[in-house]
Amino acid sequence: MPKITVQHGCAKAQLALVPKVAKVIKITVETPDVKSFRLQMPNGEASFLGEPGQFGIMGIIGSGECVFVISAQGEDWIEFTVKRVGQVTEMLHALSEGDEVFVRGPYGNWWPYEDCRGRDMLFIAGGIGLPPVRSFLQYCLEHRADYGRIDLVYSGSTYDELVFKHQLFDEWKTVDNMGVHVSLYHEDSRWDGEVAYTAPYLEKLAIDPMGSNGEGRVAVICGGPSLYRTGTKELLKEGYAPENVLTTLEMRMKCGIGKCGRCNIGGKFICLDGPVFSLEEVAQMNRDE
Amino acid sequence: MIIKKDRMGALLGTLAQHKTVFVPALIDGVSKFAPYREGLDVRFDLHNTKLPPKDLLFPQTQKMYRYGETAEGGHYVEQFDESSERVLFGVRPCDMRSINLLDDVFLTKGFVDEFYEAQRKKLLTVCITCAAPAETCFCESMGLSPNEAPDADILLKSCEDCYKVTAQTQKGEAALADWRDFLEDTQAQVLPGKTSLRLNFEGVPQKLSRMYEDPIWDEISTKCLNCGTCTFVCPTCYCFDISQENKMKEGVRFRCWDSCMFSEYTAMAGWHNPRPTKKERVRNRFMHKLCFFEERYGKTLCVGCGRCVECCPVALDITRLIDDIGASDA
Ligand code: SF4
Ligand code: FES
Repeated sequence: MPKITVQHGCAKAQLALVPKVAKVIKITVETPDVKSFRLQMPNGEASFLGEPGQFGIMGIIGSGECVFVISAQGEDWIEFTVKRVGQVTEMLHALSEGDEVFVRGPYGNWWPYEDCRGRDMLFIAGGIGLPPVRSFLQYCLEHRADYGRIDLVYSGSTYDELVFKHQLFDEWKTVDNMGVHVSLYHEDSRWDGEVAYTAPYLEKLAIDPMGSNGEGRVAVICGGPSLYRTGTKELLKEGYAPENVLTTLEMRMKCGIGKCGRCNIGGKFICLDGPVFSLEEVAQMNRDE
Repeated sequence: MIIKKDRMGALLGTLAQHKTVFVPALIDGVSKFAPYREGLDVRFDLHNTKLPPKDLLFPQTQKMYRYGETAEGGHYVEQFDESSERVLFGVRPCDMRSINLLDDVFLTKGFVDEFYEAQRKKLLTVCITCAAPAETCFCESMGLSPNEAPDADILLKSCEDCYKVTAQTQKGEAALADWRDFLEDTQAQVLPGKTSLRLNFEGVPQKLSRMYEDPIWDEISTKCLNCGTCTFVCPTCYCFDISQENKMKEGVRFRCWDSCMFSEYTAMAGWHNPRPTKKERVRNRFMHKLCFFEERYGKTLCVGCGRCVECCPVALDITRLIDDIGASDA
């Protein structure tokens, strides 16, 4: 079974600390507190393009910046999906189309999409964990023939919390050899689907860790701390190999380029060496959680 | 080549005509590196300045860019370059080493810090060896020598009443042209320095990497005040924060020193904090210095200058920690 290797510290030097000005050309309201912002430079070009899983730093001109994974991109735009959780994201949510922001990046490493070719894929996300997972999923869908069976297990605590509903309930339903499994943690009047936490739902779905060709299915998991803890535990119990389970780690970031010092977990800087790591690598880290 | 100690003032006067020459000086009772000028209380006899020279390359507050609205209703960004030709004169071997370490941080691993690089290129370093290290100096235990500074452009070896002058880089060689009138072609006896404080650093990084969950972190962190003094006076601490100041429709974004000892440092949006108590913060600081940095850059991030030992209000002493860990069988 060929081993999946996550590359680290591979971001190519682009914008270090000085941002570019970009225009918000489209805002999509995903949920009551999540919006996606599509950005383009005033000259009509993309500020930069990233690899699946890389992140950028978007800021309010005259105020703070925040880190977001590039949740989607086109030839001449990039998009960030932002949950309103603090001061800066609050201000971002107040923006209108046509407003300008600061943006810099791309930073961090990316999903090992090349090593995963030929594998079956299991994507797992909770709440606002879907944007980073989708950056990889979308790549697989754009190169559909290169990947085997694809399953997505997504959960949110309420119906409102589910992002990208259009893709979840329409677009992805029609993709060949793909399963979309959505659950809510709590009953909801608008919901007649599965009600379960992620780990028990995974157990119930029993998606074979070996994959259909016996090469070992690759699992990609992003969500809050408890989803991460219970979800990865369940995957290991089901027999997923730790090197085949991929995730992103989170720390507070300021510079994004491995200089300001605050995002370290042991000797690794999450902004530069991460955010993508395999479970095998995470297990070897000394972590403050 | 030598320069007599009583000619140093004249040399500085000459050099300062073209460049800003930073020398160790006593200012309002605190020793630090300050631009040379007539009447400055220059002190080459101090072992070490109270404050490290890091702010020459990495200012405590550094403007990065200016921004504002354009006439067309858009926005502009304009990067600052406040770098200038500077000489760091009279730096000690430990502080010289700290610059080598900051170079690794700011100039390597994928991204080059544009602000640091601009000033670093314009910096000439003149190091003076230490004939009489202080009681708190332990550079020798950290793999340095008080008698050498391989990274300095020009090295001044301390002798009785003169310094032996050697250019160690091309930049140093070229700079010596301005020194010609002050140099003499005489022999002199170099006074070798020796640190009295000796630690057993052998194997400490490896031991530390196995001591993440050790009770030692609870013990030593109890008395820490999280005041940040140790990170402030440390020549190799480089953490920074980024912020801005606005006036009407314009503003300046700057960075400023930060400290991993502050609780706010790692707090995330939504108030989750992976290092919630001083135990995690103290552990991270010492592990970063003595273990993590080694894993990443192959070097130790402590140069043995002794400043934190001297300045910590509660005597949380890195030399005691090193000795304890060195002696333990972790
Ligand atoms: S100087 Fe001492 S008390 Fe202050 S933060 Fe450092 S170790 Fe703690
Ligand atoms: S965010 Fe600055 S070092 Fe990672």
